[in-house]
Amino acid sequence: MGFLAPLFFLGLATLAVPVLIHMIQRERKEVVEFPSLMFIRKIPFHSFRRQRIRNWFLLLLRCAAVVLLLGAFARPFFSAGSLAAVTSTAREVVILLDRSYSMVYDGRWDRARDAARDVINGLDAEDQATVILFDSGAQEGPRSTTDRASLLGLVEDAETGSGATRYGPAMKLAEGIFDNSTLPELEAVLISDFQRTGVESALGVRFPEGTTVTPISVTTEAPVENVSVAGVLFEREYFSGRERVSVVARVTNRGEDPVSAINLSLAIEGRDVETVTTDLPSNGSATVNFAPVTVGERPVTGTVRTDGDRLPTDDVFHFVISPGQVVSVLVIGNDRSGPEDALYLRRALGIGSSPAFDVATSTVTSFRAQDLMDRQVVVLNDAGPPTGQAAVALQGFVENGGGLLVVAGERSEWPTGAPDLLPGSFDRPVDRAGRGAGLGFIDYSHPVFELFSAPRSGDVTTARFFRYRPIEVGESASVIARFDDGNPALLERRVDRGRVFFWASTLNNFWNDLALKPVYLPFVHRLIEYLADYSPSQPWVVAGQVLNLAEQDGLLADAGLSEADLVAISPSGDRIPISEGIRSGFLTMREQGVYEVHDATTTSEFPLTLAVNVDLAESDLATVDPEELASSLTGRVVGGQVDASHDGKARVFASEDLEQRQGIWWYLLIVVFMLFVAETVVSNRLSRTALNAD
Amino acid sequence: METEQTVAGARFVDPKVLARIGSLDLLARTVVDGFINGLHKAPYLGVSADFAEHRGYMPGDDIRFIDWRVFARTDRFYVKRFEADTNTNFSVMFDVSRSMNFGSQVLTKLDYGRYLAACLTYFCTRQRDRVGLVTFDADIVTRVPPSAKHLNVILHELDRIEAGQPGSLERPFFRATEFFKRRGIIVVISDFYEDPKKVVDFLKPLSYGGNDLIVFQVLDPAEIDFPYDDPTSFQDLETGRKMPVVPEKFRDQYRELIQEHIAALSKLCAENRIDYALFNTATPIDHALFKFLAMREKLSRVR
Repeated sequence: MGFLAPLFFLGLATLAVPVLIHMIQRERKEVVEFPSLMFIRKIPFHSFRRQRIRNWFLLLLRCAAVVLLLGAFARPFFSAGSLAAVTSTAREVVILLDRSYSMVYDGRWDRARDAARDVINGLDAEDQATVILFDSGAQEGPRSTTDRASLLGLVEDAETGSGATRYGPAMKLAEGIFDNSTLPELEAVLISDFQRTGVESALGVRFPEGTTVTPISVTTEAPVENVSVAGVLFEREYFSGRERVSVVARVTNRGEDPVSAINLSLAIEGRDVETVTTDLPSNGSATVNFAPVTVGERPVTGTVRTDGDRLPTDDVFHFVISPGQVVSVLVIGNDRSGPEDALYLRRALGIGSSPAFDVATSTVTSFRAQDLMDRQVVVLNDAGPPTGQAAVALQGFVENGGGLLVVAGERSEWPTGAPDLLPGSFDRPVDRAGRGAGLGFIDYSHPVFELFSAPRSGDVTTARFFRYRPIEVGESASVIARFDDGNPALLERRVDRGRVFFWASTLNNFWNDLALKPVYLPFVHRLIEYLADYSPSQPWVVAGQVLNLAEQDGLLADAGLSEADLVAISPSGDRIPISEGIRSGFLTMREQGVYEVHDATTTSEFPLTLAVNVDLAESDLATVDPEELASSLTGRVVGGQVDASHDGKARVFASEDLEQRQGIWWYLLIVVFMLFVAETVVSNRLSRTALNAD
Repeated sequence: METEQTVAGARFVDPKVLARIGSLDLLARTVVDGFINGLHKAPYLGVSADFAEHRGYMPGDDIRFIDWRVFARTDRFYVKRFEADTNTNFSVMFDVSRSMNFGSQVLTKLDYGRYLAACLTYFCTRQRDRVGLVTFDADIVTRVPPSAKHLNVILHELDRIEAGQPGSLERPFFRATEFFKRRGIIVVISDFYEDPKKVVDFLKPLSYGGNDLIVFQVLDPAEIDFPYDDPTSFQDLETGRKMPVVPEKFRDQYRELIQEHIAALSKLCAENRIDYALFNTATPIDHALFKFLAMREKLSRVR
């Protein structure tokens, strides 16, 4: 028998405590009141009458409790005999099986499953094992089981997924299993193709000390060949009032050898439209332009596919072509304004397809309430506010979510009684002679200027302003840009659901030269897009992404759906209820292909379609040294094969392991507790007897 | 009454008997009647038969006090001055801290001090002195300013006082210096559970104004003899602190310490021209008074 903390036995000196308790005279209860204890020194009680042990049984009870308590703290264990031999050969084995889509390549998945079966079949009867299937996430089978059949069944039923390799989540899961294990030996078997792209997520994961990591690579020495469709772009144009979209596909070759005459085919709504042949250099890419296709009012699904290779998963790319979004803008000028006043603005808005801008012009006097029908943004360009019914209509337009841009100019005015829309009250124009003024402050965190925050993305401050209207900022307004003398250049104000901007100078070249700068076009586009609350549609998502349909009002509305009761149909045909359970409204898209979202109660002819593609980082089949990865997890490696030293013989255990497994201290504490209970009963009874005798 | 006839000025009234008298007025009369008037002198010059000194005549002096004999000898005017033997201020400073509430006999120290103060006050009133009272514990508790008409007020105050708070001499004595600006006699009654040096340091400022300072230390016989036998816990009346004590082993040491304390206090008082007297609450009050007044009479002749 041994003790982990024998120094606790020094505490045996406390045995004197119960002995003293038995010998010390008990203090009298009555107290003598004395004027002052100034002269009285403290003297311990000393009684000759009680200086003998009167109750040996109670003394022995107390001494035994103290001795056993110290024994428990000393953490005893048996180092020999049957207790020490219990489960001395048992192992905790975690089999990590990579099921990312790259495992489809060249028969890797079959080899991986064979390796997993070998490991399971090689387990001893006392060993416990867990199978973890992982790609970008990790899925755990029955934990720490000795049931070989269930483990083999799990491996047999496993399939590759659409996820990319990420070792981190699986390693974390294995780490948790090891931490909770009571078995003396820990072993992780990692079966994977060891792609370099997945290693980064495992940084920082460390298995418990003494864990053996056995990496089993399923790659071969053959050179890697892989062609994949890396993505698509849409080029939109309008022809005869119809929108036409040209699909531009980008295809990459990850192999060491060039590929020639590879076919790429475009399919729209499941029907092949065009096939293009191209050549690809080694470790290079090419762009393929398909002929334009006409798009209707509803989104259509499309696919670009290459010839099949040894990794077919990344040979296809799905997407949804939505009809081009158009932002409708009404530019209102003053009565005396000519066509050149809004020339730059109209020309700038005439360029662009994502979104396209539908620009109409009017004057203040000719402006009518019905002109606001289907408009998203109104620009008051160097003009005063409309009056009468038109003014009321403009106010209502903004309050209901419309955007208003007020551009200052010579004829700008905002008399008392005009709609309360401006972010402040502006004054007479100010001239800046010489070089003119520049923009001294710009809030680059604002969506309008966010585009210019990155280096070499356009410098708005190069524009010179020779005249502008100073404005006194109102309480609810915020300044987004200021001139170098501190006067506001661009202000924003929220009016209920709508937004109002005031631009203190002109948007042509009369008062400044901004219209002649390259930044003019993106600036005007962002200004109008922000006022129209425009958000681009998403043509595809990556597998594993979660979409919150509750926040996709626009998408659902376009498809004629409400979020009340929705169901999604996966590419494999599974029905996924979206409006049930705690994840109501969320759709997790794990499969590659096109998901369709329907109303659960009625069948919809035109469902909401969502294209899902695999993570193309997985297409890079470059590998990392398996032993390097294993050593980063523990620093100890047994390469290639399962630990051959495991021969079934009894192992020598550390004292800590024996003590932890046997847990004798726990039983000792229970005995101590019972002794103290007995002591309480006995001492109370003795006290009562003594009182009665007195 | 019988003792009054047999022993002039001292009747040795037993404190147990005094304890049965409810009225302090009657008690004081019982104790004091029969004492000799004029045993102490006032610190001021006034009208009496005892010549004190000569002083040069100044315009405005009563010509009746011119000493013509001196004029005849020196051809200069001198007036005679006499000691005033009455109309002095007599104040009692009475410790009413919680420790004074101890008594192993019939009377507590507080009661004994109360009787003592009543007797002295009555005694002084009979001499037409102005009498006052100050009670204190850790601070001044009550104050009756000296006046010839305040006997009843003082007796009433003495009758109703109760010991309550823990005591300390420093603050009340410091504050009391403001009360005694006119010279007079101050009697301090306390058990003086403080370091003797500190006690004297606190007392000295009272005598700076020319006051005659008299210190009465009142102790119970149990405090002097420590007659306890059984081991038990002793609790300090003032702090509430408890201590386990075996008196049998400690008695001699305690007696030695208390005697040293008394001796030190007595010696330091004498060195600082402060009259000191120890009163054992088992001793008859009039006996103690007689003994003390006799001592002061002797001392006044020496001074």
